Amino acid sequence: MSDSWLVQHVWLIPLLPLLASVATAILGPTVLRERSHWPCLAASAFAAVLSFLLLFTKTDLANPTTPAVYDWISVGLFEVSVVLRVDPLTCLMLVMVTSVGSLIVLYSVGYMHGELGYWRFFTFVALFLFSMTMLVLASNFLLLFVFWEAVGLCSYLLIGFWYHKPSAAAAAKKAFLVNRVGDFAFALGILLVWIHFGVIDPVNGYGRLDYDHAFANVQNITDTALLAICLLLFCGAVGKSAQFPLHVWLPDAMEGPTPVSALIHAATMVTAGVYMIARLSPLFFASPGAQLVVASIGGFTALLAALIALTQNDLKRILAYSTVSQLGYMFLALGCGSVFAVTAAVFHVFTHAFFKALLFLGAGSVMHAMGNVIDITKFSGLRHRLPRTHWTFACGAASLAGIPLLSGFWSKDEILAAVLHRSHEQSGIVFQVLLVMAIVTAFLTAFYTFRAYFKTFWGDEVIPPEAGDHAHESPPVMTYPLMVLAIFALGMGLVLSGIGIFLDKPTLIGQFLGHMPGWSEHTEHNANWGLMIGSGVLALAGMALAWWMYGRSTTLPDLVARKIRPAYNLSRNKFWFDEIYQATVVGPTVVIAHFGRFFDNWIVDGLVHVVSATPRFLGRRFLRPIQNGLIQFYALGMVIGLVILVLAIKLLG
Amino acid sequence: MLTNYLIVAAILFSVGTVGFLTRRNMIVMFLSAEMMLQGVSLNLVSFGRAWGNWHGEMFTIFVLTVAAAEAGIALALIVSLFRQRHSLDVSLWQELREPGQPAVIDAFELECESEESEWPQLTPAGIEPVRAEDEANETTHVR
Repeated sequence: MSDSWLVQHVWLIPLLPLLASVATAILGPTVLRERSHWPCLAASAFAAVLSFLLLFTKTDLANPTTPAVYDWISVGLFEVSVVLRVDPLTCLMLVMVTSVGSLIVLYSVGYMHGELGYWRFFTFVALFLFSMTMLVLASNFLLLFVFWEAVGLCSYLLIGFWYHKPSAAAAAKKAFLVNRVGDFAFALGILLVWIHFGVIDPVNGYGRLDYDHAFANVQNITDTALLAICLLLFCGAVGKSAQFPLHVWLPDAMEGPTPVSALIHAATMVTAGVYMIARLSPLFFASPGAQLVVASIGGFTALLAALIALTQNDLKRILAYSTVSQLGYMFLALGCGSVFAVTAAVFHVFTHAFFKALLFLGAGSVMHAMGNVIDITKFSGLRHRLPRTHWTFACGAASLAGIPLLSGFWSKDEILAAVLHRSHEQSGIVFQVLLVMAIVTAFLTAFYTFRAYFKTFWGDEVIPPEAGDHAHESPPVMTYPLMVLAIFALGMGLVLSGIGIFLDKPTLIGQFLGHMPGWSEHTEHNANWGLMIGSGVLALAGMALAWWMYGRSTTLPDLVARKIRPAYNLSRNKFWFDEIYQATVVGPTVVIAHFGRFFDNWIVDGLVHVVSATPRFLGRRFLRPIQNGLIQFYALGMVIGLVILVLAIKLLG
Repeated sequence: MLTNYLIVAAILFSVGTVGFLTRRNMIVMFLSAEMMLQGVSLNLVSFGRAWGNWHGEMFTIFVLTVAAAEAGIALALIVSLFRQRHSLDVSLWQELREPGQPAVIDAFELECESEESEWPQLTPAGIEPVRAEDEANETTHVR
């Protein structure tokens, strides 16, 4: 074994948050109280350091799995152990989860200060980090599924953190139930994997659920089976990563505390879907039909969410829809079916995590100062009041918008280049349409991001009355994470990709992920300068348009809204997705539930009540009068019994 | 031969049963119960003789032993109950009936000695009997 100590002890990374979670849960309410953030902060910071070290450690690529940490299931030939897998993709995800996670934890120390259930928050966050790190470290489908569900559970707990607020409770329930739909398909997909890949090698492969077995045998199963597996697994990703039919839960998840939104949108939860497809890309490479579906859903979601985000007034909701849109981008890339495209998707996940966490934490900082008001029509011109928040938010917004040289620009450009490349190949017409949608989305992204930015930080200074005298900059514990994230948002793309493109060499991220076992090596890609300049100009144009409409105090937006009233309403009401689901899915389900309740209360319970009431009635009516306390009466009973006994013996015997 | 014994035993048992069911005086009920026991014992003895073994006799001796113990307890109970209500009427003791059930009240009251009559008192154990001259200013108690 040439593996380093770090690879052998990679289990420390998930273990630390788990210990922190347990410690906070036990000690939080009584001992730690206002210091409840320490275990979580220390564990996540230490895990982040380990992850960074792991990034620079040579891993054994031929055999990326570590020895079993724990024998979980062992039934005959069916064996599932907790085996961790360390390869470049995992390392990258670990760095992202733990570093963004620990910055968010640091920020939460300031944001959640004095909150009821302070310890509860950090317990859940630590559990969340544990689940997510285990999810990316898992080496087989069953383990992936377990932590897939654990991430869902943690998001439910955190979205519903203010459970006494009905809207938060409803949002948590919605997130959980919508995810259930996807997870059900995901579970079916895993069963299919088990069935199809298990029977190939009945002697020592039966019931093998690890990735390597599936990757090695991807050519040995029928195309139909592979398509079914890929589509079902993708359904799971659609639920978890909030893609088109199941995207409705993510904007509602804004009901949770803002650091939770940042955590869900950036480091954990929604990235799980993208990670899963990227991890299983050898399966998707072999199934062009599944690629088409993945790319179409992704491209469509990107455009749809961008259109919705145009007219939202809730700052966090705009960011939520932008997350949905960016995730759509990632799926679009994942559907292109080339190593370069998957690399681009993972790169975008990575950069997106930093600038989206930055934007959410910035929005949280605004919310903190504005007395929990988040409606961008209620405040404006905050750039003097909140200078640090303003600058860091600007960095994040510019990065998200794809302003040239910032991190979002590079990753988005790689995705566009991958789609362009794919559109010259088989079924290219679909990808040509998707490319147009993606370019339109890129423009819209720049526009709505800067709309939110200009409406919040520019114009005349307006502060809502709820803010009171709190309308000042947040404490350093909140602004320092913002600055760190801002540096990442500004420079990371340049370091990971830009320098390589300028020097006409393989990019850093491409080199790094090019070593993935199972991913073929051809990652060279000529920089498409035309596309890069085009998308940069589009982003700047979107920004300029946003400034022209919202940067100056004009009535122009209202005028435009009046001119295109139906389209405006469509976007404003989020294409009525919630209403449609209410009418088609939720409503009938509620009717069925009411019927079920009626059936249960009156028919099932009724039967039980009749059964229980019968002896009581008989006893009251017939048995009770017999018990009159008179000795002779009891003696008479005995005599009658004796007579009956004697007669019975006489007559029957 | 056996039949005669059995008839007598059956008569004894039946008389006892009817007596137990119809009388309200506790002592008479107790005697009736004893009579039922003797009927059964007679049965046992006669069967023992008929079969020519000692099983019946053995059982009877056993029954007599138990009956003696039972008589001791039963009479002590009766004395104790009598002390409570100053009557031997068994229908005065029906508190164990179901709650809410009306008490059974017999149309005929059991004739018994009047309340004022003097009951014999037992000499308390371990205490010197009171002399005649002291009776005027001291009453004895039964422990």
